[in-house]
Amino acid sequence: MSSPEVLVIGGGPAGVSAALELARAGIDVTLCEQGPRLGGAIHRQPDDPTQSVRVPRSHKQRWQAMSDELAASTVKVLCRHMFAGIEATGAVLLEDRIHGRLVTRRPAALVLAMGAIERVAPVPGWHLPGVVTVGGLQVMMKSTGRAPDGDVLIAGSGPLLVALAAQMASLGNAPVAVLERSTRLMSVSVIASLLRAPAYLWEAAGYLLTLARSGILPRRGAFVTAIAPRDGRLSVTTLDRHGRERQMLVDRVALHDGLLPNSNGTMAGQHGPFIVRAGDCREVLGGTAALADGRLAAHAVLAQIGKAVRATKVPAAILARERQAQAALNTLFDYSGRDPAQLPDETIICRCEGRTLGQLRSMLSGDDPVSAREIKLNGRFGMGACQGRFCAEWVASFVASQRADGSPPQASEIVGSRWPVKPVPIAAFVTLPPSHPSE
Amino acid sequence: MSDVQSFLFDGVSIPCTGRETIAAALERAGIRVIGTGQGDCTGRYFCGIGACQACLVAVDGARMEACLTPARGGLQVKRILPVSP
Repeated sequence: MSSPEVLVIGGGPAGVSAALELARAGIDVTLCEQGPRLGGAIHRQPDDPTQSVRVPRSHKQRWQAMSDELAASTVKVLCRHMFAGIEATGAVLLEDRIHGRLVTRRPAALVLAMGAIERVAPVPGWHLPGVVTVGGLQVMMKSTGRAPDGDVLIAGSGPLLVALAAQMASLGNAPVAVLERSTRLMSVSVIASLLRAPAYLWEAAGYLLTLARSGILPRRGAFVTAIAPRDGRLSVTTLDRHGRERQMLVDRVALHDGLLPNSNGTMAGQHGPFIVRAGDCREVLGGTAALADGRLAAHAVLAQIGKAVRATKVPAAILARERQAQAALNTLFDYSGRDPAQLPDETIICRCEGRTLGQLRSMLSGDDPVSAREIKLNGRFGMGACQGRFCAEWVASFVASQRADGSPPQASEIVGSRWPVKPVPIAAFVTLPPSHPSE
Repeated sequence: MSDVQSFLFDGVSIPCTGRETIAAALERAGIRVIGTGQGDCTGRYFCGIGACQACLVAVDGARMEACLTPARGGLQVKRILPVSP
């Protein structure tokens, strides 16, 4: 057998950075990406290269440098290959979407760099068509090179809200409003922390300037309380910081309440390969940290398989700096979402199967504590096609708030950890040949 | 936009450029409801990164996220019917 193979899952900055660092050390690397092109959410490339969304110049240069090095490297890139999990014997399962079949690999190590998912706190109507995540609308815009049409309301909390709003304004369709739940203000200590990573301040200043020119500054302390369909559009009820209710009629609502690592179902098994997580999939610290974290993941793999690692403290120092900057940034936002006590029973919690808050409340109304397995198997929260990615964390914190016995179920217990990590068609299992050509 | 092709979505011809996803092509065609879904939840574009599974459609018979699947001329794309009513 020649040099051991390392599999990297995820073609965003963390995955590409890890793959490049491994290739520099002479390792046989395969990089798998679920979508048709590399870049991840942050460096999503336009469908038509002549129509691109304005992104910070540093982002563009960073991705260009990585793409160039990747093209000249020995890294094998497999697009439209989704990580399906690690089965009991330790084989890594990939769903090859090009050929509609399952592929098995037995790499020496596996780097999981599957990015983040957005947290969206439930409100009545968040499951309606036309309601999207802020990141979802942003990747669509980066792909098409066009601002989404119609009247768009952006709401929730986080730096992504103003980023999307400013990019939309630059493309000629500013949102009708940006509702930022948080009322927290920039403090001296936050500015001091961000000065160590000044790119964030410049980026934010650029976005806010663009928005100010469009007359759309975020309304702080305001949030959405309900969304309902009306005449083919969306009727949105909002509350401002003074408790004033307002109705708006819009075409789309983009919601976002922070980011979570996309690590469901990625626990190491007994017989599986050495696993390292990298980038937002391990800890949500953003694109700059993802590059450094990808290198660190590669170093961990090299150490594990007995290859020499070039000693450098640079990536760890970048990670520490970005961690501090993100922590400072996060103090400015409020990811808590609507207080569950204010949500009506009809509010959908599980978006996959339409399970409601009323159904969850009635499950918890008995005298006996309810286990994580009961929540999933009987309540069907975390049971649907997204496998709890959009409800498990919220359900776990709601259950904890309703119980005082000190041992509420964790989101990871509700979700469980078994393959496939995403639904895989049965046809992919039966289409021959099911295995890697070398087996 | 030189290479305009089209695929069928529940029998309706949808133009596509060859580099965009099925979700982007449906969005441009103004189609928001892209599946029957379960309970009160219809199929729709939501997260854009293949995580939420809300945009699953049948592409030549196989379930795939519209937001991750390239649109190609001649594809037969259909809304997925609910497992149970």
